[in-house]
Amino acid sequence: MLAVEGIEAGYGRTRILHGLTIDVPKGGLIALLGGNGTGKSTCLKVIAGLLKPTSGRVTLDGEDITGLAAEDRPGRGLCLVPQGKEVFGTMSVEENLMMGGFHRRRDKAGLAEDLEGVYTRFPRLRERRRVSAGMLSGGERQMLSIGRALMSRPSMLLLDEPSAALAPKVVEEIAEAILGLRELGLSLLLVEQNVGMALEIADHLHVIRGGRIAFSRAVDGGVAPDELRSFYLSGGHDDEA
Amino acid sequence: MDLFLQYLANGIVIGSAYVLVAIGLTLIFGILGVVNFAHGEFYMLGAYAGVLTVTLLGLPLIAALVVVIAFSAVLGVLAESLLHRALRERDMTSSIIASFGLAVALQNAALLTIGPRPMLLQTDLSMLAVEFGPVFLPLPRFLIPVAMVVLVGLLFGVLRYTWTGRSLRAMAQHRTVARLCGVRVERVAMVTFMVGAGLAGVSGFLMSSVLMVTPIIGNMIVLKAFTVVILGGMGDIMGAAVAGLLLGVVETMTSAYLTNGLRDIIGFVIVIAVLLFRPQGLFGKSVERS
Ligand SMILES: Nc1ncnc2c1ncn2[C@@H]1O[C@H](COP(=O)(O)OP(=O)(O)OP(=O)(O)O)[C@@H](O)[C@H]1O
Ligand SMILES: [Mg+2]
Repeated sequence: MLAVEGIEAGYGRTRILHGLTIDVPKGGLIALLGGNGTGKSTCLKVIAGLLKPTSGRVTLDGEDITGLAAEDRPGRGLCLVPQGKEVFGTMSVEENLMMGGFHRRRDKAGLAEDLEGVYTRFPRLRERRRVSAGMLSGGERQMLSIGRALMSRPSMLLLDEPSAALAPKVVEEIAEAILGLRELGLSLLLVEQNVGMALEIADHLHVIRGGRIAFSRAVDGGVAPDELRSFYLSGGHDDEA
Repeated sequence: MDLFLQYLANGIVIGSAYVLVAIGLTLIFGILGVVNFAHGEFYMLGAYAGVLTVTLLGLPLIAALVVVIAFSAVLGVLAESLLHRALRERDMTSSIIASFGLAVALQNAALLTIGPRPMLLQTDLSMLAVEFGPVFLPLPRFLIPVAMVVLVGLLFGVLRYTWTGRSLRAMAQHRTVARLCGVRVERVAMVTFMVGAGLAGVSGFLMSSVLMVTPIIGNMIVLKAFTVVILGGMGDIMGAAVAGLLLGVVETMTSAYLTNGLRDIIGFVIVIAVLLFRPQGLFGKSVERS
């Protein structure tokens, strides 16, 4: 589905990613873990087209999209839910969702259908459809930004720390929602700091360190291998992989 | 009392012209983060486009209005695509200096091609007038607030109910998320400049039968418009509409009851006071920028 090969990228003179490679198979749920400032968001920005890599390529369904503008990627089924639960604060919840469908705005019937789908998935958003998005709680904002992404009818969804700064109960809800997306047949790349949540829902884990994937492992039956937990938490043993 | 009402009406007329200029300015700032010092020249060139269409080509007013709108829109698109597009990723000072340069260039271009002689639009409409009790307004003046209400209403409708309008608001709020939704910055920038320049041009044309048109009329109007934008809250359209009318009325009253010499100063005094005590503008919140 999505293949990221040997990406090098950074800001100005600072290199952040040094040859990062990730593969997301069709229908897969891949988690990308790593500490603060290790380049997880940078990686998603490259995939979403917000940041041009200095080398390496990004392919979607075998097609090279490295040079494709960020604005054109939702139309290809690739959508990023950025970090920070970003919403259009002074627009209503429903307007926020509709904006997610901007690239297929001529498809009125399809948009109405998908709006209904999002409301069914997140009933809280239906209740608050006329409210300004800026008034929502953190959990609701996260649901809204995921819902907005769904309105673009993605086949490949990138999620940047959807569980950050949320109460455990809400994290549980978001995790359920992500599993629900998987049942839709979506392929997912999930960036998380919440290792527990990632272990619960992902089928494959990558740990990023020093700008590349330092450790990868399949998650068997949803149970966390202890070695991973200790590897991740210890913060040591660099470049083991 | 009768005189007061007449002054009020005069203030609303001039205030409506400010509103039309200021709304474009506040849109361009709120959506693109560009401080457009050349906005007064959009007004000035719109005025000339209208006056010359009527006097040289002898076309009717409504045709002149179409010419003004088309000409101003093209001007806005050119300013965006030739100047501001290249500066978009730079910091704000670049676009400020560039727009200042554009203002000087356009002013001198007008001076060279059209000359310094003041012009006033005189048409058959000037013979007609509207009377409400003690208030008397020549038709060309009466049409200014009417046009303002129609255009502002239209703009609100577009912003609220069309995809283009939504994409403009989305871009004003959060550029990155808007891009991730598939909104093209270039397209939004073009539409914004088109609308902003169009409104300013129409304002210039409407005012050309009230005040003399010369190549330098943009200087004062852009300062007035900045006053309005700051009073209304940077990027806030409704705020600009209210503040524009307010400035027009306050100026007229100042000149009527105090002295005409204070007319052009009073607004700046108010704006300095507002910047000191209420920097978010008179009416509170401004459009968030990311
Ligand atoms: N726009 C930017 N300009 C310059 N440096 C940046 C920019 N964004 C991020 N960085 C730097 O790049 C590095 C990686 O940032 P990134 O946001 O990718 O980290 P992250 O893994 O997502 O961290 P977190 O878990 O805190 O979100 C950090 O050192 C950060 O300071
Ligand atoms: Mg991050």
